[in-house]
Amino acid sequence: MDSITLTAIAGPSGSGKTTWMSQFLSNRDRPLFYCCPGMGAASVDLARIAYCFPWVHLLPEEQTPQIFAKLPDRALVYLELGFHLDLTAPLLASLPCHRVAVVPSGLQTSPWHDWADEVIFGNDIATPTPDNLPELWRSPLTGQVFDAPSLDEIAIELTEGAYGQVQRVKGIFELPDGRAFHVDFVKGLPGIEYTELGIPRWLEGRPDRFSGIEVVGWNLEKKTIAQTLLAGCLSDGAIAQYQEQYKSLMKSETNQEESILT
Amino acid sequence: MKLAVISCIHGNYEALNAVLSDIDDRKADQIYCLGDLVGYGPHPNAVVEMIRSLDIPTCQGCWDEDIVEGLNACECSYPSQLAEQRGRVAHEWTNNTIHPEVREYLATLPMTLRLDNLCFVHGSPNSQHEYLLPSMDGFAALERILSTDADVLFCGHTHVPYVRNLEDGTLTVRVQQPGKDELETQFETPLKQIVNAGSVGEPRHGRPNATYVLYDTDTAQVELREVPYDYELTCAAIIAKGLPPIFAWRLARGMEFAERADDPSHVCQR
Amino acid sequence: MQWAILSGIEGNLAAYEAVLQDIRRQRNPVADLYIIGDVVGLKGDNEATIERVRSPRSGELEPQVCIGWWEEQCFSLHGLSGLPDAPELMAQFGGDGVKHLWKSVSRESVGWLRSLHFGFHELDCLLIHGSTVSYADELTPDTPAIQLCDRLIRADANTLFCGRSGLTFECWVTPGKLRSTVTTLDGKQEPQEQGKTPRRVVGVGSVGRIPGQATYTLYNPGSDRVTFNTVSYS
Repeated sequence: MDSITLTAIAGPSGSGKTTWMSQFLSNRDRPLFYCCPGMGAASVDLARIAYCFPWVHLLPEEQTPQIFAKLPDRALVYLELGFHLDLTAPLLASLPCHRVAVVPSGLQTSPWHDWADEVIFGNDIATPTPDNLPELWRSPLTGQVFDAPSLDEIAIELTEGAYGQVQRVKGIFELPDGRAFHVDFVKGLPGIEYTELGIPRWLEGRPDRFSGIEVVGWNLEKKTIAQTLLAGCLSDGAIAQYQEQYKSLMKSETNQEESILT
Repeated sequence: MKLAVISCIHGNYEALNAVLSDIDDRKADQIYCLGDLVGYGPHPNAVVEMIRSLDIPTCQGCWDEDIVEGLNACECSYPSQLAEQRGRVAHEWTNNTIHPEVREYLATLPMTLRLDNLCFVHGSPNSQHEYLLPSMDGFAALERILSTDADVLFCGHTHVPYVRNLEDGTLTVRVQQPGKDELETQFETPLKQIVNAGSVGEPRHGRPNATYVLYDTDTAQVELREVPYDYELTCAAIIAKGLPPIFAWRLARGMEFAERADDPSHVCQR
Repeated sequence: MQWAILSGIEGNLAAYEAVLQDIRRQRNPVADLYIIGDVVGLKGDNEATIERVRSPRSGELEPQVCIGWWEEQCFSLHGLSGLPDAPELMAQFGGDGVKHLWKSVSRESVGWLRSLHFGFHELDCLLIHGSTVSYADELTPDTPAIQLCDRLIRADANTLFCGRSGLTFECWVTPGKLRSTVTTLDGKQEPQEQGKTPRRVVGVGSVGRIPGQATYTLYNPGSDRVTFNTVSYS
């Protein structure tokens, strides 16, 4: 395992861990591996990495030690540790890795500082105190397609505190024109970031690929958030209608400059 | 004469009271109202009773119309599916809450009101649902005013107050018809004004304060008024009456839903 | 290459045949045939006309057809529009008109008419029966200039071809200048000049409304030239 480089990344929610790590995932000189323990088989980060960097191998979190033993030569492994994960857990302690903490520059001392071999200054966000850690609510949305203006409204309401004090939102959402977007919000940073994922348009019924949302905050009204999200989701009929429209639009765009008023 | 023009009260009694006090303080001679007395807010009956007791000339808004005619606004009038679902909740609640005589009164409201060279409408002279946004094409806006034969067109519906002066317009028309001489005519348009009264009970300009306008018929001066009021009382009433709490949340931020704004020329086919 | 734009056949099959023949005779070939509404009416045999429009003979152009005022009256009579019992038709043509239209268009044909579009956006042109405001919007050279201007803005096109009036005309509208100044709660904004380049409304004539004399329009997109043709037939 000598030739394998293992990097563990930790830091508070929204500090920029995934962003910092992503810069290394474009370089395909060495076999790339990614693991995010504690987030289960389907998380927004995991899906985003799979969509954006399809060459990166995703490691299942269970049986991690066994898999590490079988990694190919020169493998680069990134281990992203969620803010909720105990840094002193035995698994982490036992791994021979380079430890990187991504923290706000304003933070002078923290368990992350103590743990890390290297400290990277990320987003300047307020760090929750350990005695008041936020809760994480997440929901898969696979198969759901959003009415875009509704999604916009929901994102504004959610991030401006209509359903509890929100510190972080990230999600992958499907739109009726077949595109999927990564949506990212960090309290203290300007705006809500929408990034189109460069994956094929899904124009045949409900998308059979991962989408979902993760909300980090305090006093979250989870039931209302879920209801509001569903109120922004399109029906089968509406999805079919939009998909037909986009298909004929794309066809006419490639054929000739013509449109028909319906 | 000093006119006060109010619009889009939406069952917000607290806001209406504050605006009426402000109008008293400003010593306006006459009040006009551009409709949408009900919908979203918790006190539709009280608002209508107040407007009636003061004999305020009022035109019918789209929400007033829907309460009278049944909800038949086409879905195109909502900016999003979410807004549409919430609009339905608000409509149903209002429909179940208002008194029969309030419904009867709303049915009697005219689409337009006139006072000399002034015309009053809810949305536009064409439709209660049409938006006259300040960004609308100037000639299209001019057409709306000229179609009423007035010099000043007062409207509401967008929930954001503004004044728009349209002046020094020229329009040339050249007609060619088989068997006839070509004919060219040039028109010049004098100053015309659109005055949007904003919203008393559902502001959408990013602050919770009520808005309305004052207009001096002698000087043609317009004053946009922004009136603070205890919006938390209205928010509490929204929740106490069982309306969705998100209505209160948005009201407190001056970001209420309006109808679809991206296609102001759209007139629904219902 | 040019387009032929027709409106107002109104069931007058002889007039439609005469126009088709005139189109075939054009030295500059017609590549597209538009019928912007009023295929049916009270001027002849509606079923035969619909059949002729739906099934062009070999070598003939496939007409692109949109809905007109008369089609809307059919929808209303058949309960396929928001407005039942065709009050507009009743007001203009009385009970006999209503009866005749009801009898002369089959349910199947009404179904086909209902499947038609409201209009066509082609290049920088809008082809529509009335205007985007309504199928009943009748634009003529006497329509107030500001209203023509408004219809062109709504059409979002440089040329608006329409057929409700049955007249042939080309009306160039130049919204020369207009100063707009907006004041909001945040204060007065810089005045904006709203003037625009000329655009035009074209009345395409009527194929079947006047017995013995059909009018229609040819448009050459290359030269942007509009020509009106009058065809006499017996």
